Amino acid sequence: VIAPLTRLPLLRMLRTSRASFALGGWLTSAVAFAVASRWVGAPPSADRILLNAVGPIVLPLLAYALAGAALGGRSLASSTAAVVALGAQPARAALATLGVVAMACAAAGGLFSALVAVTAHGASDPPVARDAFASAYAGSLGGAAYATWFAMGATFGKRGGGRLVFLVVDWAVGASNGAGALLSPRGHVRNLFGGAPPVDLPERASAGLLVALALACALIATRRAR
Amino acid sequence: LLSLVAGTTSPRSGRVRVLDGEPTEARIRPQIGYVPLQAILPDAMRVTEVLATASAIRREPGQPPADRLRALGVEGLASRLVSSLSREEARAVALAEAATSSRVRVLLVEEPFVSMDPRAATRLRQVLQEKALGGAAVVVATASELADDHTFLRDGAVMAQATSWGATAALPPNGVRLHIFSSEARALAAALACEGGVEAVVRRDASVLVRGRDATELARAAARAIVTSGAGVTEMGFDPPAPEEARAAAAALNGEGKAP
Repeated sequence: VIAPLTRLPLLRMLRTSRASFALGGWLTSAVAFAVASRWVGAPPSADRILLNAVGPIVLPLLAYALAGAALGGRSLASSTAAVVALGAQPARAALATLGVVAMACAAAGGLFSALVAVTAHGASDPPVARDAFASAYAGSLGGAAYATWFAMGATFGKRGGGRLVFLVVDWAVGASNGAGALLSPRGHVRNLFGGAPPVDLPERASAGLLVALALACALIATRRAR
Repeated sequence: LLSLVAGTTSPRSGRVRVLDGEPTEARIRPQIGYVPLQAILPDAMRVTEVLATASAIRREPGQPPADRLRALGVEGLASRLVSSLSREEARAVALAEAATSSRVRVLLVEEPFVSMDPRAATRLRQVLQEKALGGAAVVVATASELADDHTFLRDGAVMAQATSWGATAALPPNGVRLHIFSSEARALAAALACEGGVEAVVRRDASVLVRGRDATELARAAARAIVTSGAGVTEMGFDPPAPEEARAAAAALNGEGKAP
């Protein structure tokens, strides 16, 4: 029953310009950051681009745009109202939409991160294949976490305006290394990309917390969309 | 009321039972077809994809989309994107989906002749009758003559039930009746149905008969409805009370006169 419910968010992403513009725009930006790093004074380093550009800028804004495209710019409940009117259960419809958004953001985040790791690869970086794989893993995990984070945000506000609030909250709370950074994806993504960890967490703990955060956001969003 | 039955609105108190269950239950929801005035269809899909998705959600065998749409004469919309449909076309598609679904056992339609594609409007009566004959409960909120059984509601309470609109319009006693002849009787009747102070509306060809408790309030409601609907009016006037109503009113007055 879940499979037909994934058609609507999928088609929204494929048939509207919002998703393709976001993908094209941020892909170009990510590659541009990587290429530009080769021309500036400092020696090329994939970690620097992933940490300063992909993690804090590209990944959240890409997930924000893809979530908006899959939801049709509405709240999670409104975006699923059409399939609910055809007899679907609201919670299942919300879960299907969340799944599509999370998969799309994970794929795009992983691909972009791997591409940047290869393009900006420097002499001080680990072997390129290993670096690309590790970056793809971190990007995928971060993308999926951001997708559910914004989907939960879209359950607040009449037209899902909470999505923007969640973007600002992530930006503000996740910037620090304190305990507050544990509650949003930004601090954990920074940790996975080799930056300062929130409350000195090891990378593995940040990965686990990202998964837990994604599951918690999905659960809350599904319950609120009923 | 229809949205309560459809499960899209929760009751403030009490419970709604449909098909021996709550309308929000997973086994009940696919058996309810609801066509509100503003039909909601999956925006990024083509009409054929909407029908296929609906069949999958309702877990019913797929039927050729053209056949389903042909029931209401809108098969020409099959390849269109939902986002390109007008409000009237979207309502016709939503009604075609619900009416031709083999799983839908309760079909709820809000004002079927309002904001309806003209091609569908001509076949609508037949489609709803066929659905009802097929064993489904077809509930229509309307100001037009369409149903076999009529329920008259006021403030959420059932005031009367009748088998013809004429009988419904005559209820409750001691009211006043206003008749209006209009070139746009259908639109006028729909607008009148939304007015406060109007207790019943009957439309027959170019005439609309309205029932209310207070003559002044009814005249004001009629004036507002005429302006809202933009309908041209050729004649309007209050009907004299029926003999039995006059007798009942006289008896009531006499009774009051004899009271201490």
